Amino acid sequence: MAPSPSLPPSTGETATDGGPDGTGSPSRSPEMEPARGPLLPPRGTPPAAGRFGPARPRARAARLALGALGLALLLLAAGTGYRYEPYAPQPPAFSGDAPADARAREQQTARLNARRRDLAARLAAAAPRGVYIVIDQTQNRLYLRRGDETLLQAVCSTGSGMVLRESTGKKRQWVFDSPRGRFEVRSMHKDPVWAKPDWAFVEESQPIPRNPKDRLEYGSLGEYALRFGDGFMIHGTLYERLLGRAVSHGCIRVGREDLRVVWANARVGMPIFIY
Amino acid sequence: MTSGAQRAVVLAVTAAGLACALAACGPKPASRDGDAHALAELARLQRDNALLARQVELAAGKDFYLLLDPSAARLTLMLKGAILQHFAVRAMHVGHPRVAWVGSRDPRHVQSTVWSAGELDPPRLIDRLVIDAAPPGAASEEEAAPAIPPTPEELYPVPSRYHIRFAEGLSVEVRPREGDAAVGWWPRLRAAVSEKARDVSSAVRGAERDAIRLRLVLDPKDAQSLYRSLPPSVRLLVLDGRGAP
Repeated sequence: MAPSPSLPPSTGETATDGGPDGTGSPSRSPEMEPARGPLLPPRGTPPAAGRFGPARPRARAARLALGALGLALLLLAAGTGYRYEPYAPQPPAFSGDAPADARAREQQTARLNARRRDLAARLAAAAPRGVYIVIDQTQNRLYLRRGDETLLQAVCSTGSGMVLRESTGKKRQWVFDSPRGRFEVRSMHKDPVWAKPDWAFVEESQPIPRNPKDRLEYGSLGEYALRFGDGFMIHGTLYERLLGRAVSHGCIRVGREDLRVVWANARVGMPIFIY
Repeated sequence: MTSGAQRAVVLAVTAAGLACALAACGPKPASRDGDAHALAELARLQRDNALLARQVELAAGKDFYLLLDPSAARLTLMLKGAILQHFAVRAMHVGHPRVAWVGSRDPRHVQSTVWSAGELDPPRLIDRLVIDAAPPGAASEEEAAPAIPPTPEELYPVPSRYHIRFAEGLSVEVRPREGDAAVGWWPRLRAAVSEKARDVSSAVRGAERDAIRLRLVLDPKDAQSLYRSLPPSVRLLVLDGRGAP
């Protein structure tokens, strides 16, 4: 009976059986040896290092170490940063020599109260009196304020920030920013006429006129204008659809209805704050 | 008088004398309380005067400044004593850096000084358009319509968290998102993770810029307005939280 192909081959011993010819001689031929297959090592081969057996614990240990390191880093990161607590005011602490008796305390209290009144008066004097104008040039908003009270909130247009460079002649450069800081109304004009500066002609690629009368433009500044120095004005505009955007050459453009309210409250010397 | 009675009288007189002596030498609880109260009042007056003096100094200067009033829950932008804009503050917290669970607390209180040279981080960048004017008479026949510039909202998107960093190591952290109920959980989570990474980096680097953090939660509109409007090099004074002087 031929051996099954799945059985491992013998180690050298040959089975003796009664072969077909009945002679009893060994009858296994090489073709009858069962195949071992390419994946299995030959019988008796010791397991290869790193594939099975001893290498497995090292890999596991490395993974554990990496995991522990990662966890430690996470814990450290969790404890790194900023720790927040609710805000608490600074407790007042008396500085200087404590008064010896009640009379000294009363005198010191009186001095501190007098100082307090003086400081409060100086602070009140620093604040603008009456109505003043506030302009937020980034968000293109104009406010009329009286202390804590807002009398008017208007949409306006402030300086575009554009840079204009002259390509011929003096090669001048203009930056169309609105100024920042405290100013005052220097003059007030009804039906103002615009005397166009050089940049207005350069921008239009027009020659700069020699006759001053050729610079005059009527109606483009609206009904009113408030000058506050260095050529800057608060004035009306023909382009009310562009209010709320930074499109001017530095002046503050206001819509007609809002400009009327500003005019009604304005006075020469009125503070203007632009930020 | 019997000897017992005499003895009783002597004892009573002695006890009375001892009691008087003790009362004369012992502490006076009522007056001690009065001393402490008077000293506290003096301390309060000193602190109020110090804050007023700083406000007078700021009003006399030429810089824009912020007044943070915890009692009124309000941040006010001012110049030369004039109120420019109010921002309502929803919450205030103070933060100190820590590395690996070990904190380093700056001994200064945010009220202790006027903080200066405040700048936005990330900064509000201005993208300027530069035009080279054509020579006179060289204008093209067909001129393109000028482009309408963007609105401030389009020009300056506001981050979910920004800082106003001052020169002395104070950083005011403004968080508009915490006050925005419309923001979903996923954007909040993403923002929180990126903010945590930046905080870790800032704390590890020695927190030169953020020795103290003052975290303010504003309404989203106020936070956006503050980011877009804040002038450069602004100063800050934190008023007393117990009430205006």
